[in-house]
Amino acid sequence: MASLDQLKATFFDECSEALQQIEAGLTDLREGAASEDTINAVFRSVHSVKGGAGIFGFDGLVGFAHVFETVLDAMRSGKLAATPDIVDVLLPANDVLSDLIAMSRSGEAIPPDLGHESRAALEQLLHSDGVRGDAGGDDSAAPADFEGIDFTPVRFDELDENADGGEQTYQIVFRPKPEMLKKANEPLYIVRELRKLGTLDLVAELDKLPSLEQLEYDHPYLGWTGTLRTTAKREQIDEVFEFVTGDCEIEITRDGRAEASDPPGEIVETNSPPIQPAAMPVAGDLRNERAAPAAAANPEVESAGAAPSRPASVKAPAAGATTTRVELEKIDRVVNMVGELVIAQAMLGQVVHSLPEDVSGRLAQVLEEVVHHTRELKDSVMSMRAQPVNAVFQRMPRLVRELATKTGKKVRLELAGENTEVDRSIVERLGDPLTHIIRNSIDHGIELPADRQISGKAEEGIIRLAAEHRGGRIVISISDDGAGINPDRVLKKARDQGLVGADAVLSDDEINNLVFMPGFSTAEKVSDISGRGVGMDVVRRNIQDVGGRISLKSERGRGMTIQLALPLTLAVMDGMVIRVSQETYVMPMSAIVECLRPPASDVHNLIGTSGMLRLRGNLVPLVQLCDLLDISSTLTASDERVVIITDAGEGAHFGIVVDELLGHQQVVVKSIEESYGSVPGIAGATILGNGRVAFILDVEKLSDLANSQNVQAGLQAGLGRFANGESKMTATVN
Amino acid sequence: MPAAAVLKVLVVDDQNSVRQMTRMTLEQIGVRVIHEAENGKTAMDTAALQPLDLIISDYNMPEMDGLELLRAVRGHPSARKVPFILLTGRGDRELVVKAAQAGANNYLIKPFTADILRQKIEQVMGKLS
Repeated sequence: MASLDQLKATFFDECSEALQQIEAGLTDLREGAASEDTINAVFRSVHSVKGGAGIFGFDGLVGFAHVFETVLDAMRSGKLAATPDIVDVLLPANDVLSDLIAMSRSGEAIPPDLGHESRAALEQLLHSDGVRGDAGGDDSAAPADFEGIDFTPVRFDELDENADGGEQTYQIVFRPKPEMLKKANEPLYIVRELRKLGTLDLVAELDKLPSLEQLEYDHPYLGWTGTLRTTAKREQIDEVFEFVTGDCEIEITRDGRAEASDPPGEIVETNSPPIQPAAMPVAGDLRNERAAPAAAANPEVESAGAAPSRPASVKAPAAGATTTRVELEKIDRVVNMVGELVIAQAMLGQVVHSLPEDVSGRLAQVLEEVVHHTRELKDSVMSMRAQPVNAVFQRMPRLVRELATKTGKKVRLELAGENTEVDRSIVERLGDPLTHIIRNSIDHGIELPADRQISGKAEEGIIRLAAEHRGGRIVISISDDGAGINPDRVLKKARDQGLVGADAVLSDDEINNLVFMPGFSTAEKVSDISGRGVGMDVVRRNIQDVGGRISLKSERGRGMTIQLALPLTLAVMDGMVIRVSQETYVMPMSAIVECLRPPASDVHNLIGTSGMLRLRGNLVPLVQLCDLLDISSTLTASDERVVIITDAGEGAHFGIVVDELLGHQQVVVKSIEESYGSVPGIAGATILGNGRVAFILDVEKLSDLANSQNVQAGLQAGLGRFANGESKMTATVN
Repeated sequence: MPAAAVLKVLVVDDQNSVRQMTRMTLEQIGVRVIHEAENGKTAMDTAALQPLDLIISDYNMPEMDGLELLRAVRGHPSARKVPFILLTGRGDRELVVKAAQAGANNYLIKPFTADILRQKIEQVMGKLS
């Protein structure tokens, strides 16, 4: 039995969902996107909150919820219209409701005047337009109110089901003969049809089952006896056996009396008692079929015995909802366990491969199976934690509306791909960055309606928030059709702040990316919305902390697009184990485009670079991983080095040179933040199959590192060109 | 005089927390066999397959409300005689009248104590032993 505390926790979970639904519904109403059922749905959510609050004794919550509910009731019955003005009273009311719920949840005392403004506004609505509401008292109406209503009296002893001729119980014996199976008639279907007629309780007769070696696959060895409780007519039961009557023994009796439809010559003794349920499973399917009716017929055994019954214990027959609630903790524990399983499996792999061929052969095959299943298990478990990004997206319309009002601008928010799913852990980290980016957009990007008109734009600015899966990541883009970044102002500000040399020449893209530098803010006055100096650098750090990357494109006067690319999950990933000198690292497979071992002739030396690789007509800049990570020089001859082509963003590729590829495996990502803080170039760590720890490389960061090492000026130039969209370099090289 | 312990009751409510509280309250009275359903459709599945002595259902549910469920139960060949108590959170006389006309055997206003629940059940089924 669930404890009261557990139930309260469940109730508060329900409240969270209810609050979201109310918000979404009211938002739809406000924007004219409501359906017929929207008001009803909002009403029901408030009603549920009120109901639960009453049951669990949260009186402060009940009172407010009741007034709220009454207004919604008036709206759904048409007494009050759903005008924007009225919805604007309801939205803050939902906020008050949310506060009251939070306080009830944490056990804080609720100050008596909390929300009284909102409440007064609600009550005002009820008294206007002559709407009569009973918002005054609460409605635990005394039974006296319902006097005079005639309810149908029922006596328990009237519930004898056989009395009316409604339901009957039939004894059924069903034994297929060889002909039945030969005609491809399936006993299972017959049983299913019988089940549809009522409550079926069958037991299999196993006495004719031979040993496995003697079993003939097309010979029936099983028969079934049992009872069917049904209101169906006898003819309907007979119909079930219509096509098989000659090919099996069938016997349907009621209350011990044989009935006419038994085919002559095949009547069997009707008084054989049902055979005791066999302990061993019958043919797989049938066992499940049987388990369900058995459960149906013996609910007392189930429920009475299970005194510590868990909540929501509806068994097989009631098909049940298609979703269920599970505590996050349980899922996280399973994710952890799967992670450990992945590690253990990797270790097993190592051991297997170190065995002599003749032994390891078979073992390796079986291991392949295990790897395959573990991968599927991992995917399934991770998908349990997946949530649609809408959980975060749906907070944005309101934000946009409020900011637009505050700044006097007209803004419309368009959403796309809100059902795209991503791990919970990532969804939770999206809220702040998105909020900040959208704030920026409205504050600095979208112009005032008058200004927009002058530039020939529509008065209303558009912000488009979209999510999609791309290349093993989730890409979220926020674009607006505002003024974009003003490169001159940004450059000047950067110079003023000493972030950039006075005479440095920067491309437009490079200027745009200056906004990511710490402390950067071009807000002329610190508006209380976004100009606190909490700038894009914090946003970028937030994104990078979860292994994602952020990029920005801006066109002066036309608008700006910010793209966030995030991993789908933080916990487990496919990695390529590589060796550099004596060190082992792991590179995320998602970052790898291809691996190759180019002949030395394909590598061209450009002064100041580690080389350029000629690859299918393109030149790809190379970077020595040992240089980037400051590892002492490698021992491998340059011909044998491996180049891993990775994506530096915007389609630009560069090649990382390593000594050896050690293999591709699933890797459990462990964070090193707690012990080491944020280490540039390292995304985390993992335990390899050999039991040793290896760092996981952060390829985006490596690309930055490579860029910033200005020693490789040529590399810079190469990447710069790539970044600006040139994909081919036809410079003559030595 | 039915023993509470042999009663088979179906509780229908879309709110899990409320369902559980109703279950707990029923258990306090001594009922042991308690089925649950989250909505009208699964409630009908259970009602069609299980022998039931009582259905306690909330009124406010999405897709199929308590009144619609009542009508469906009353129209079903095997479940139609099962006693039905409608739960409501609002003292809505109109609703209660409609429920009575549709064949409900009693009503209950949320929140309710074990005593009130017992009282209502006994009004419907006779004194519980």
